[in-house]
Amino acid sequence: MSALAAEGLRKSFGGDLAVDDVSLTLETGEFFSLIGPSGCGKTTTLRMLAGLLDPDAGTVRIDGQAVTDRPARERATNMVFQDLVLFPHMTVAGNVEYGLARDGVAKSERDERVRDALALVDLAGFGDRDPGALSGGQQQRVALARALVNDPSVLLLDEPLASLDRGLREDMRAEFRRIQRDSETTFLYVTHDQESAMSMSDRIAVMREGRIVDSGPPRRLYNRPRTRFVAEFLGDATVLSGEVQSSNGETSVVETPAGTVTTVSSGEHGAGDRVAVAVRPESVTLGEGDWAGTVVDTAYKGFYAEATVDCGGACVVVRRDRTEAPEAPGATDGQDRLFSVDEVVKLRIDRAVLVEHANG
Amino acid sequence: MPTVNEQTRDGLVASLPALLALALGVFPLVVLFVESIGPSLGVGSYRKALSPLYRGALLYSVGVGVGVTGICLAVAYPVTYWLAHRCPARYRLVGLVALTLPLWLNYVVLNYAWVWLLARGGVLNRLLVGTGVLDTALDLLYTDVSMVIGFVYIYLPYVVLTMYVSMERLDYRLLQAARDLGATDWRVFVDIILPRTLPGAAAATLIVYARIAGAFATPAILGSPGNVMIARLMVQAFREYVDYGFAAALSFVFLIITLGSLALGAVSPRVRRELRRW
Repeated sequence: MSALAAEGLRKSFGGDLAVDDVSLTLETGEFFSLIGPSGCGKTTTLRMLAGLLDPDAGTVRIDGQAVTDRPARERATNMVFQDLVLFPHMTVAGNVEYGLARDGVAKSERDERVRDALALVDLAGFGDRDPGALSGGQQQRVALARALVNDPSVLLLDEPLASLDRGLREDMRAEFRRIQRDSETTFLYVTHDQESAMSMSDRIAVMREGRIVDSGPPRRLYNRPRTRFVAEFLGDATVLSGEVQSSNGETSVVETPAGTVTTVSSGEHGAGDRVAVAVRPESVTLGEGDWAGTVVDTAYKGFYAEATVDCGGACVVVRRDRTEAPEAPGATDGQDRLFSVDEVVKLRIDRAVLVEHANG
Repeated sequence: MPTVNEQTRDGLVASLPALLALALGVFPLVVLFVESIGPSLGVGSYRKALSPLYRGALLYSVGVGVGVTGICLAVAYPVTYWLAHRCPARYRLVGLVALTLPLWLNYVVLNYAWVWLLARGGVLNRLLVGTGVLDTALDLLYTDVSMVIGFVYIYLPYVVLTMYVSMERLDYRLLQAARDLGATDWRVFVDIILPRTLPGAAAATLIVYARIAGAFATPAILGSPGNVMIARLMVQAFREYVDYGFAAALSFVFLIITLGSLALGAVSPRVRRELRRW
């Protein structure tokens, strides 16, 4: 039985369709992420699942029970809000205890479960504090404990890490993953941050303009994106348009303005089809191969450098790690450059994926 | 960091208005107090002010103050909640202005408006009798009911304005979070709305309570002749008995009772906590 199943959810605001026929199924104990750019309808979807917003059409089931007509308080879902919205006039323990008190749990049991929940999120002994006096990361943990304490069937998280700075965000990702495992709760995580989603999730669904365009395990989505949008949204990719020359079901040979490339494909294309090819920067080997081009732009990225190479009308983004060009002792800034503009480079495409050109 | 010179200058600039404000606030009170214990440092005036006759009026005044403040808050809570969180933004200002319109009129005029509305031959009675709802006109005017209506009408705008500020600052998502965790509408009100808006309610109470309890015009124009509020007795003592000492003592007793009843509210730890935040 799935922890949460949504079927055909639809919602429009003043004539604008925000969510269009979204269906989702979450297995019990799964960490599922719903990702997409701002305004794609992911938060609206989440609010409909939580019961904070009524869908125009569609059904929601939690643990097999239809809950579409039930308000938020009668659903076995809890939400971690984007800005956390901890109750500022209650202590940390008061916040965590709130859901239990509303469920009518006896005081002695409440105290025990609050203690356990705070221990789970690594905040044992913080019960008497004022939530406003805690750090951003600690507030995150309180919000998690508050939402987890009464064992929801599904925990809905609405970009709770968005307000944290980068280092803390990375720590919290690992913590979310651990807390999800330890609490054995199904998580539905909504974010526009593909990096967070990929590092935490068992499965991801990508939304665009109110629809789910692709879903699956992060590895599958990253390595075998079905559409150009998914390829570009999940990490960096160069997308070249081209024409299929031949196809054998497993791979296709595609002619692009930059050269010919063999791509992984699902076999739905025949010779002569106009298609798009996605190439990840890490799938390009520099210095050898039969593609050649001129560097037109470079960008310093820290441990690697990125260059845009013009291969006869089509630009390919490539990377070079620092380790490939170790810094000489005493090297000046100029010598440290991994790429220089107008440099002619050879490149080989090690792996490319054939993707749908169309939107969606 | 301001230099010493700047600090001195700032102090000088601020001290004159501050002294003036202090003098305006404190000086009359001192004069009043001196009058109340005069002419020979006696407490006779106070003894008289606390006699059963005046005790009844004091109690009645405080009761009216508490009751009307309560009614104003009970009306202002749903109204300001709706205005701040439910009303479409473009109607918000219109709604607020409409609700606070009475602030812009003289309050004696406002009181007489209700005389005209509630009198035996007034608008309301004529409407009710004319449409056949009632056979004979009701005696609404010169009762506690007409006085309370008048008070609510005049003081509600102050309460609405003060509460609105508090309601607007109330984060609506806190309500959603509470609902999500299983709170019913009533629990949301008790657990979230009330504690978050208590400073506003306290401010509104501070503004209107003492003025209602000590009101002179509304009880005189709309009130029942039998139920005397304390202000009328003070005015009587000043004007008719020309007993300034007694009038001053009565004023002081009333001031202390008013402050005392407000302090009683602040005894509640929850109110104190909220007031400190405010």
